Amino acid sequence: MEKLTQKDNLPSSTQFSEFWRKFKKNRMGLVGLVMLAAITFVAVFAPLIAPHRSSSILNVGVSDIYKAPSAQHIFGTDDAGADVFTNFIYGARVSLTVGFFAAFISIVIGGVLGIVAGFFGGRVENILMRFTDIMLVIPDLPLMVVIVALTKPSLLNIIFVIGLLGWTTTARMVRSQTLAVKSRKFVLRARAIGSSQFHIIRRHIFPLVTPILVVQAVLVVSLAVLNESTLSFLGLGDPTVLSWGQMLNYAFGRGAMSTGAWWALVVPGFGIVWVVLGLTLLGQGLEQVLNPRLDTHHLMPGRPNVKSTSVALSRNETQPASGKSLLEVQNLSVNYVTEGQLSARAVESVSFTLKEGELIGLVGESGCGKTTLMLALLQLLPSAGQIVNGQVLFGGRDLTTLSDDEMNTVRWSEISIVFQGAMNALNPVRSVGDQIAEAIKKHLTGFPSDKISTRVVELLDLVGIAADHKDHFPHQYSGGMRQRAMIAMALACNPQIIIADEPTTALDVMIQAQILELLNSLRTKLGLAIIFVTHDLGVVAEMCDRVLVMYGGVTAEYADVDIIYNEAKHPYTQELLKAFPDLTRPKKKLSSIPGYPPRLDALPAGCRFAPRCPVVFERCHQEQPSLHQMDGNRHIASCHLLEASK
Amino acid sequence: MNKERLLEVRGLKKYFEAGRPALFSRDIRKVHAVDGVDFQLRHSEVIALVGESGCGKSTLALLLMGLEDPTAGTVTFEGRDITHLNDNERKDLRRKIQMIFQDPYESLNPTQTIEEIVNEPLLVHGIAKDKRERDERVKKAMEDSGLKPAEVYLNRFPHELSGGQRQRVVIAAALVLEPEILLADEPVSMLDVSIRAEIINLLAELRITRQIAVIFITHDLGSVGFFADRVAVMYLGRIVEIGTMLEVLEKPQHPYTKALISVIPVPNPRLRRKRIILQGETPNPIDLPTGCRFHPRCPVAISACKINDPSFVSRSNSHQTACLLLVK
Repeated sequence: MEKLTQKDNLPSSTQFSEFWRKFKKNRMGLVGLVMLAAITFVAVFAPLIAPHRSSSILNVGVSDIYKAPSAQHIFGTDDAGADVFTNFIYGARVSLTVGFFAAFISIVIGGVLGIVAGFFGGRVENILMRFTDIMLVIPDLPLMVVIVALTKPSLLNIIFVIGLLGWTTTARMVRSQTLAVKSRKFVLRARAIGSSQFHIIRRHIFPLVTPILVVQAVLVVSLAVLNESTLSFLGLGDPTVLSWGQMLNYAFGRGAMSTGAWWALVVPGFGIVWVVLGLTLLGQGLEQVLNPRLDTHHLMPGRPNVKSTSVALSRNETQPASGKSLLEVQNLSVNYVTEGQLSARAVESVSFTLKEGELIGLVGESGCGKTTLMLALLQLLPSAGQIVNGQVLFGGRDLTTLSDDEMNTVRWSEISIVFQGAMNALNPVRSVGDQIAEAIKKHLTGFPSDKISTRVVELLDLVGIAADHKDHFPHQYSGGMRQRAMIAMALACNPQIIIADEPTTALDVMIQAQILELLNSLRTKLGLAIIFVTHDLGVVAEMCDRVLVMYGGVTAEYADVDIIYNEAKHPYTQELLKAFPDLTRPKKKLSSIPGYPPRLDALPAGCRFAPRCPVVFERCHQEQPSLHQMDGNRHIASCHLLEASK
Repeated sequence: MNKERLLEVRGLKKYFEAGRPALFSRDIRKVHAVDGVDFQLRHSEVIALVGESGCGKSTLALLLMGLEDPTAGTVTFEGRDITHLNDNERKDLRRKIQMIFQDPYESLNPTQTIEEIVNEPLLVHGIAKDKRERDERVKKAMEDSGLKPAEVYLNRFPHELSGGQRQRVVIAAALVLEPEILLADEPVSMLDVSIRAEIINLLAELRITRQIAVIFITHDLGSVGFFADRVAVMYLGRIVEIGTMLEVLEKPQHPYTKALISVIPVPNPRLRRKRIILQGETPNPIDLPTGCRFHPRCPVAISACKINDPSFVSRSNSHQTACLLLVK
């Protein structure tokens, strides 16, 4: 079993503290929160803060009406001679009370309807959502005006009217989130356990809908505050309490504009803007923190990073690739740097050579740096990734020193890539033929435009797709056909090298066999060299000439395919082989490698495989093994045992 | 091994409606997801259901779990028909048959701790009301699933675990109910090779220590090798060949089985073999081919295959194949 460190034993952080950690970094959300907290504080402690009593309209004379701001009344007085600032503070109480309670009603109704409609589906959903649509179509404000005008304009009525009309967007958002959550496998698992529907809603749907509800609640409060102000401004507010809208109404209706008493209008207006702005900022901030789909920026490929110059000194010593070797990777190292700090040494000192027409397999478990290495070859690393050492020699040039523009002439036209998961790599709204044509236009600038269509058909034919499928969309393709289309796209500019990153992982065995056969035939037909990234040792044995086994970002072993499978020297390679099922020996028990690959941000001090190695000895924990060459240069492995046996 | 039949599936069918071919057409097109499946499962036996996507194996799993109602046919568990149960009976049955899913990243609720996840089935079924007894059971299920020591994992969230550990949590949440059958739907296809072996070995262990029968659904014959007692190969909603693991792997009879076996990569470059690569993909299960449903892709089909739907031919007591070429 995996050894657990002290750190692992600490109790896991609660979800709230995790949320707070992220939220603290969100400036917009924090500003909103502070704004809201300030006005709430003012509302709660109104009697302590207000300079005058709320109904201090004693001894009002004509001269007290619309008095300009002064030391006694810092924001002047209103039409009744009352202190505007005091009214503003007490008005916050009314506006916020209406806002919070009305929003509470809306959120409860919207949440319940949304969850019920989304979860139960069918007729229930139809009826509820049509009802929601009708409510959504009716303009809220006129309806509110009518209802409030027909009923007694009390505060309670206003709360209910606003609350009962403000739930529609919430219902729709909650429904779509519920639909998304419902289709996830853990809900099916909960059903398989025997959970009741109520239990599933409470335990599995609701917790995942909550983030949406929280964001929505904040926005609904601001809407409710606005609605209340509008109603009061229109004279439909509760005349016995003074909200900001009511203040505006009185000031507007009783000559504040004509007497130039701007303060009577600006101060309550400011209150409304303050609350709505604060809530909106808070809502936006919460959304950014709580909605995981908005939090992907660090994964996007950034501008390729130019290698730091201090380590690139040896470049002029190297001769351009000679003879048959096509691509030569020398001592390539990639670090991930986040917030200025080294977070992971993802690839360290990896070297390999790819010859013309050769198929090299790049093998290792997930998180061993395979994909990072491939992205580094093409200078497609995410913005946090930096090539810190080494060279990628191709056609007499070191690709790591090329600018983005120069690299664009290499990428796709010389070296192209076929990604895992063809569905995500194809644009769903454009036909497959279109997308292939675009690849040609983009990368082969001089290509005659009248011949593009013929070329597309030719490419599709090459990968075994009939020409009449050219105008079909990706969703009309099966998984295997999509992967073929991806290969056609990769071939669009006659590249010399194709990098195939787990091209068959998500496919059925028969489709996998078809794709492998296709790659093999393309290789002989077009003389392609292929780098095949995979964790499937069977595929490697069937396909590859040379194999590079990676572990924890470094080369574990690098040799001809026959040597890897029959005379592997590195314990990792040996263990990996024992874990792989072999149909020709069905009785063989599989042995697994205990534990997991090291996290690249917490690499062990010595050999990276030492914590899982069955033949580990003391030196392995202290010292990283160097690459050990055998059989000339054909077989390389990094293991201390090899030196000991020498 | 107790030879008594634990689960018996007879003539099981599930058709889904797929809308009308035209707006005002009368007939409704049907997806023949599962189209007449028969097999038996004995106590603590491991049977592998093998087939490509679209062969109906996942629908079959949902039918066996009672998560879908069959169109026709019966499933008998310990002599009792379980296809038509009311909610309470169904809930009781759930304790006996548990399921493991393909994607351990999707099958755990990200907002629950591991303890809550493993404990949940006990709460749902009102088993072990006493907190201490419950904790004991949770701990035992976790340690039996290889999450040792359990304390380390209890307060964690799924995102803090690796794929293999998550799959162990799913297994623990199934074991906590002490089921008699585990239905594993592609439980390792999303995992790394080194971890696959770990999970398969764990399942192999459980059938010995806990006497659990396993229905292992997979598209990869290679991954079930040593572990399965019997193998059933499915194509377009039906079983086309069933036999003991050695019979099917070493003497496959059906041309489809032969092809499937031939394309499984062998991890030895000295054994690169001739592969029988079937062209095209499984036809859609709406418009089934006439006769033998495999004939359009069959490399050895004869004209009779287009007309006659083959029935099973026995090669031995345990080995049956549905292929016209075997009829003498």
